[in-house]
Amino acid sequence: MTENPFPLSKDDLLRAYRTMRTIREFEERLHVDFAKGDIPGFVHLYAGEEACATGIMMHLNDNDRIASTHRGHGHCIAKGVDVHAMMAEIYGRSTGACRGKGGSMHIADLSKGMMGANGILGAGAPLICGAALAAKVRGDRGVGITFVGDGASNQGTFLESLNLAAVWNLPVVFVVENNGYAESTAMEWAVSCDSYVDRATGFGMPGVTVDGTDFFAVHEAAGEIIRRAREGGGPALLECNMVRFYGHFEGDAQTYRAKGEVEALRASRDCLVMLGERVIEAGVIARAELQAIDGEVAALIEDAVRAAKAAPLPAAGDLLTDVYVAY
Amino acid sequence: MSRKISMKQAINEALDLEMRRDPTVIVMGEDIVGGTGAHGEADAWGGVLGVTKGLHAKHGDRLMDTPLSESAYIGAAIGAAACGLRPVAELMFMDFMGVCFDQIFNQAAKFRYMFGGKAETPVVIRGMVGAGFRAAAQHSQMLTPLFTHIPGLKVVCPSNAYDAKGLLIQAIRDNDPVIFCEHKNLYGMECEVPAESYAIPFGEANVLRDGDDVTIVSYGLTVHRAMAAADALARERVEAEVIDLRTLSPIDWDSIVESVERTGRLVVVDEAHPRCNLATDIAAYVGQHAFGALKAGVQMVTAPHTPVPFAPSLEDLYVPSAEAIAAAALRTLAPTGTTPRSIAA
Amino acid sequence: MTPVVGIVANPVSARDIRRVVANAANLQVTDRANILLRVLAALRACGVAEVLMMPEKGGIRGHVERGVARARAHGEDPYPAIHPVAMPVTGTVEDTHRATRAMRQAGVSAIVVLGGDGTHRAVAAQCGAVPIAGISTGTNNAFPDHREPTITGLATGLAVTGRVPPHIAFAGNKRIDVAINGETPSEIALVDVALVAERYIGARALWRTENFRELYVTFADPEVIGMSAIAGLLEPVTRGESGGLMVRLSPAGQTSPPSGPRPGGTILRAPIAPGMMAAVGVTDWRRMPAGVPFVPEVEAGTIALDGERELSFTARDRLSLTLRDDAFRTVNVSGCMRHAAENRLLTGTPVPVSADL
Repeated sequence: MTENPFPLSKDDLLRAYRTMRTIREFEERLHVDFAKGDIPGFVHLYAGEEACATGIMMHLNDNDRIASTHRGHGHCIAKGVDVHAMMAEIYGRSTGACRGKGGSMHIADLSKGMMGANGILGAGAPLICGAALAAKVRGDRGVGITFVGDGASNQGTFLESLNLAAVWNLPVVFVVENNGYAESTAMEWAVSCDSYVDRATGFGMPGVTVDGTDFFAVHEAAGEIIRRAREGGGPALLECNMVRFYGHFEGDAQTYRAKGEVEALRASRDCLVMLGERVIEAGVIARAELQAIDGEVAALIEDAVRAAKAAPLPAAGDLLTDVYVAY
Repeated sequence: MSRKISMKQAINEALDLEMRRDPTVIVMGEDIVGGTGAHGEADAWGGVLGVTKGLHAKHGDRLMDTPLSESAYIGAAIGAAACGLRPVAELMFMDFMGVCFDQIFNQAAKFRYMFGGKAETPVVIRGMVGAGFRAAAQHSQMLTPLFTHIPGLKVVCPSNAYDAKGLLIQAIRDNDPVIFCEHKNLYGMECEVPAESYAIPFGEANVLRDGDDVTIVSYGLTVHRAMAAADALARERVEAEVIDLRTLSPIDWDSIVESVERTGRLVVVDEAHPRCNLATDIAAYVGQHAFGALKAGVQMVTAPHTPVPFAPSLEDLYVPSAEAIAAAALRTLAPTGTTPRSIAA
Repeated sequence: MTPVVGIVANPVSARDIRRVVANAANLQVTDRANILLRVLAALRACGVAEVLMMPEKGGIRGHVERGVARARAHGEDPYPAIHPVAMPVTGTVEDTHRATRAMRQAGVSAIVVLGGDGTHRAVAAQCGAVPIAGISTGTNNAFPDHREPTITGLATGLAVTGRVPPHIAFAGNKRIDVAINGETPSEIALVDVALVAERYIGARALWRTENFRELYVTFADPEVIGMSAIAGLLEPVTRGESGGLMVRLSPAGQTSPPSGPRPGGTILRAPIAPGMMAAVGVTDWRRMPAGVPFVPEVEAGTIALDGERELSFTARDRLSLTLRDDAFRTVNVSGCMRHAAENRLLTGTPVPVSADL
């Protein structure tokens, strides 16, 4: 093995690859199982976007908070939420992360700093301002990261939060995951100000655009932005340009996408393949090491699905717990 | 030590005491300090009607002015609550709920349930409710039924300074989101309030007046109208029991049912619009759980199904009057098919 | 035939991490569109009736079209007709390459470029003999001049309509060709090639001076920021003279490394990014004559072109850097405007005063 030319140790590179592979395997498996009718409800897959969540989350600890989106599985896994608990939640089982009461769009684990996937677009931004405020009040150097898609970046909550974070100088990073589509509507059409850096500038904070399919680009930019926020430098915006391998939700026929678009993206901009090839090419990690991770992750996901299917459903009495029931 | 103070002062005192007791309590809202970033006096307003006046001098940056940006700061209060603080966010006028309701009913209200009991959101959203202030249609509504409808929210609406202090202290200590509705026409009303800290538990109605002939249930400003009606009824030898709900969610069903089982007659007074409000809610509950005790149909006295008008002459017609409440009570006493007398309250 | 001018406006320059690690500016899309409208008005005033423009999805075109439509609604027509190049938009540097090739093939007389050093490099790689008129909308921007774009538009208009003779209107520029494993050239740089120790592209920008190893510049200007400033603060080399400068760098303040780069003989404080003064260890420097291939001493690392990390290389790769004089042409804005003034090119015949008044 040659000298490691990357800004991460070999262990961290392996960890990054494992995280991205876990997200990919998790999502690809959901895609298959959803089509079979095994999974109730709405499922939005993060496949293709793994480099973004992973590159950012490697700079965070459990004390740092994130607010996620409807497309939140990747954020959960990268933030350290247990994969078995996630799978069980998506299957609506009592062993789920939210004991079956949240589902795919509401997976949360506050002990890991994961404040919840969110079914309301743009709703995470104010919440993360609060998380960052709490960190600032306590002086614990925690940061808050909120994810928003290009579509939800048009929500008033998001824009108001940019202003609030700037006014209160909160340690918040606004990550715009720009996959080009607001559900089915093109970003180019729906976002009047085409540059998110411009939007950030408009609210008095720096904005940075990176190739969100390049793990190293995300990791480096996020590292600087998060450090800045942690040191009291205030909020910033990070736009990650990325690609969505599947539809808005599972079951979306994606007739709005050009013929061959997804195939071309998979062939040329697969962040997982790119990361793997680069570390192999640099001689830092052997292909066999990555293949071993692939095997372990496949077994993990298989076990998570098996466990989820075998897990008990919530009890009828659970309907009335975890909330004040007036009647 | 007890002395007479206004409801406004009582709320200020509750915030002060809780901020002293618990360093995780922070208070935020539009102009609650007032003048932040401007060049005049520090702590210029202390809230648009001066409720938080003086707290900034005592607690400094734990009182935070916000941009006029309800979604962002109400959401931030909720997010901070989920991360271990106990924020009290002032919404100024509850009517502004329209621009930030998602953060309250889709986020705060649902976290504990939706996350399988693994999240708590101890946030208090304070705001003014109610008509009679000549504040017109968008600053005068009694939106309490809207909040009461949402599982996961607790809804409080005190009728006097004593209750306001004890209920707000309880609200801050509660681990669920609480919507704390302050009737602006009660702010100046004084009563005996102890100087020390005390909490009034949620879900315990206050029986303000005993009576065996008819039960009058209300909350907020109309409690005082109900009391005036009861005084007038007493002059006619009708003894009304007056119940102040204090909290709408949770609600003290037991006190209502127990009273109705004794009096057999019920008048419910709600300043909210007539459809799907606390009056209809309570009438339905009593109809289901105490039907056998009822000697007459339940009477409901509410605001009309209109926006709040501006013209003082119209607004005075809008809020349920003591006369209307007394008349409703007499209707429950009148033999079927007869026209009850009207009395001056 | 009236001359056609090409327009390459990069909507995404000045978006990188230097907005966080330094206090770099961000020129908003609406400002880029306004710059373009100013350039277009100047071109039209000089008689340019048509421009060929690179299509993009960054929002510039929409704003420009709005500006044109508004002028038309006023009954004015101050702009040339804008024709987009027929090509797909990928949102990558390939768009600039493709658009430039198409413009060259279409016979444009000049290409106006809005972008940073990277955008200009992409155009220079494909433009052949077509002159470039550069406008700075990027971050470090050592290559394009900082001046009001209206003037750049005027100079370009005067140059392409032949009112300024070509020997005054256009100037030759240097570039550095980077050959990797014998391919010539694999890459080019307009201002500088930096070899850095880190071997990942990441967020592209250069700011970790401790990793700087070797620097090759076409001109060394103490009045710019970026890598050229390092060379410029040691020994200025102008754009007009032949050859450039080669500087060997090492971690600042390092005195006795067990291996690796030699300690910096000189500690130089240089503005390597907007607002960022950094200590750079300088081992030595020498002139880089034109046409002489230089083989770097650095065995492995990353090649940064005009301030952005572009590609990694290892000990297996053979690198060679050669500076070329007169490698591509630019519009000499100062020369054009001076010529215009001296020859009263913008002075018309006075309109006679009407007797009716």
